[in-house]
Amino acid sequence: MSTQTTTAGHAATPAWKEWILTTDHKRIGVLYLIGSMAAFAVAGLMALIIRAEQMELGMQFVESGTEYNGYLYFHGAAMILAFLIPGLTGFAANYFLPLMIGARDVAFPRINAFSVWLFYFAIILALLSFVIPDAPDIMWTGYPPYSITTSANTSFYVFTVHMLGFSSILGAVNFLVTVIYMRAPGMGWNQLNIFVWTTIAAFVLQLIFIPVLAAAVTLLLFDKYLGTHFYDPSAGGDVLLYQNLFWFYSHPAVYVIFLPAVGILFDIIATMSKNRVFNYKAAVYAGIWGIVGISGIVWVHHLYISGMPDWIRLGHMVTTLLISIPVGILTLSLWGTLYKGAISYNTAMMYAASCLYLILLGGLTGIPLAIPSMTLHLSETSYVHAHFHFIMALFSAFALFGGIYYWFPKMTGRFADGPMATLSFWLNFIGVNVTFWPLFIIGKEGMPRRYWDYEMFKDAQVLGYSFEDFHKVATLGALLIALGMILQFINFIWAAKNGKPAPANPWNSKSLEWTHTASPPGPGNFGDIDVEVDENWSPYEYNNK
Amino acid sequence: MTSEADTAHVHEHHWEWSWAPLLVVAGTFFLVPIAFAFYFAYENVTLSAIFAGIGTVMLLAGVSMWVNEGLTQTPLLAGVANIGLPIFILSEIFIFLSLFSSYWMMRLSIDSWPPEGTPEIDKILPIIMTFILVGSSVTAHIAEEKLEHSDLSGFNKWWIITIVLGTAFLGCTLWEWDHLIQMDFIPETNAFSSAFYTITGFHASHVLVGIGAFIAVLIPALGGRTNKTFVTCVSVYWHFVDVVWFFVASQIYFW
Repeated sequence: MSTQTTTAGHAATPAWKEWILTTDHKRIGVLYLIGSMAAFAVAGLMALIIRAEQMELGMQFVESGTEYNGYLYFHGAAMILAFLIPGLTGFAANYFLPLMIGARDVAFPRINAFSVWLFYFAIILALLSFVIPDAPDIMWTGYPPYSITTSANTSFYVFTVHMLGFSSILGAVNFLVTVIYMRAPGMGWNQLNIFVWTTIAAFVLQLIFIPVLAAAVTLLLFDKYLGTHFYDPSAGGDVLLYQNLFWFYSHPAVYVIFLPAVGILFDIIATMSKNRVFNYKAAVYAGIWGIVGISGIVWVHHLYISGMPDWIRLGHMVTTLLISIPVGILTLSLWGTLYKGAISYNTAMMYAASCLYLILLGGLTGIPLAIPSMTLHLSETSYVHAHFHFIMALFSAFALFGGIYYWFPKMTGRFADGPMATLSFWLNFIGVNVTFWPLFIIGKEGMPRRYWDYEMFKDAQVLGYSFEDFHKVATLGALLIALGMILQFINFIWAAKNGKPAPANPWNSKSLEWTHTASPPGPGNFGDIDVEVDENWSPYEYNNK
Repeated sequence: MTSEADTAHVHEHHWEWSWAPLLVVAGTFFLVPIAFAFYFAYENVTLSAIFAGIGTVMLLAGVSMWVNEGLTQTPLLAGVANIGLPIFILSEIFIFLSLFSSYWMMRLSIDSWPPEGTPEIDKILPIIMTFILVGSSVTAHIAEEKLEHSDLSGFNKWWIITIVLGTAFLGCTLWEWDHLIQMDFIPETNAFSSAFYTITGFHASHVLVGIGAFIAVLIPALGGRTNKTFVTCVSVYWHFVDVVWFFVASQIYFW
């Protein structure tokens, strides 16, 4: 699949050039996949160190609190900015969105390559924090005044955000133009895959909100290195300004991750249940665009304890609770798509089904956090930590892994399903529950998040057990996940070479990426004939005939 | 919706690749984050200069390759950059809005304005600068008209005038900064100086990028090669930079 297909006028090009320097959307997608999985592996290792340190009272694994903060920084920043966002809007969107709409590539292939290289250099910059003497230690949030007064290298954090942000903004421009102008002739807006809708919704959010984050961290950079006073109250600045600007992006960023994950679930569940998407229009226009519409006015719930007038808290309580309505519509559509379907359970579907559980658990535990009176108690505890891991980290990561199993035959021509896949799924699924349930319980009792130790809770008892016991269980869960993920990666690499060969459309899907392309698709995706669809076509037309 | 049958088959039989994106990113990486960190965080001016130099060379090489490929290769769908650029500008609007709202927050919550340490800032210069920048938008538009009528030498002439005006504008900003710094009005001075240098500097950086884009159009145009989409995009970007200046001038100088 590399170099043999050259025709007159094109000299044979070495395979490495056609990969490293590629401007093809599928190969760029694969580059995103490799980079995001590498980031996931390193950031996952950081999580293990964090859990190992918390397992017992006192300091065991890290040398100092600063070192522990460095791991927290890398874990959070890399998981969100280098694993989830690039995995979903980089890998999945790049590889499959053009195939789904019948396009031969994205509108601006070179800008697409530019985006992926910004992503890689941002990862390099983040990884440099392991070799420089003053690694950033400011979490992924970078709140001043600490981020300004710290002796650590805040500039690497700022530039990492800049590069990933610019990468996403250009991706947004690229994909919006692609979807508007390059759909196959005959393809109307109500015939798009839900994944296409969720991806462009995510990119609309990136386009509008990333600049605000970019501005916030740029002012941070100027305050630290040029001595400006944006976040310095003693000279007329406002330290809360940063938190407002930061969360004005970073709450919508949750939906940038959540939406494409939901889109992948819709495609898996409709295909594996051989069923139409339940309430397509409500899911798209009320669900997806409802989230986009409300996402910009909920950020203050991250600042409930930062001090503000009560009427602002109340207003944002209402909007924050309100956003559970579009999320609920999407969840109902997902369940409704299963209704009277002919469901086949394979690894992709098991991940999708587990996501239906994770979204329920993560979503419902979020409601108390939307309410200021309860947040005053729960904020900055490991309850919050467990909540956002369930709804954002685990839900989206499971959807992404489900998507990889679902599209694996398309990308490689082989199945990744098998006993090893099933085993790793169960290890992961049991592992995440064992890890995060204990954190809910001790979080409700006051266990702070981000601390490397909990000496002050030495004598506290919950349900007859000490905090330390709960931390031990959580660490055991983390080890289960680590084992599951290692098996999973071995399985992916093994299956790409030796897995059971798959036909071009193994799941009998109706979506264009399965019906009209080879596995894996060649240059130009669709052979010599352009794809056209008629007005009755739908990627989910399982019930019509 | 449309798929141009004539251009769609270009990409079919071989994998497309290009050095340009990688070089531009690598160049930017050395020129900005690495050079900045060496200068400010590690206070090593030599290494900072070396990395900035390497970065600049890579960046220029990447951009020139990119422009060359853009002028010689057939795109999958021609002309959509005219749609992509306004979408990108939407993003730019939000970054300027964020900077302005930070400035408004500071200004509206402070007791007395301008804060202590602010010298009298000359109000004639920004008016002159406004005329220069608006004039350059007009000349850019005239150049576009010339190209419309296939008058390449006329295009080149007006395009060069635009570059000269843009450079003059940048010169004014630098002169003003130098002047104010000599009066001990530096970014550190107070809340207003923070906002002043950040916002005028951010706008000036856009002017600089705009001039770079103008030159990237001009060099092949002198050799007779142009691309209308490219010219229109650069021109639209320039008008945007022009419009932003009205907000910068009114908010910073005349409020």
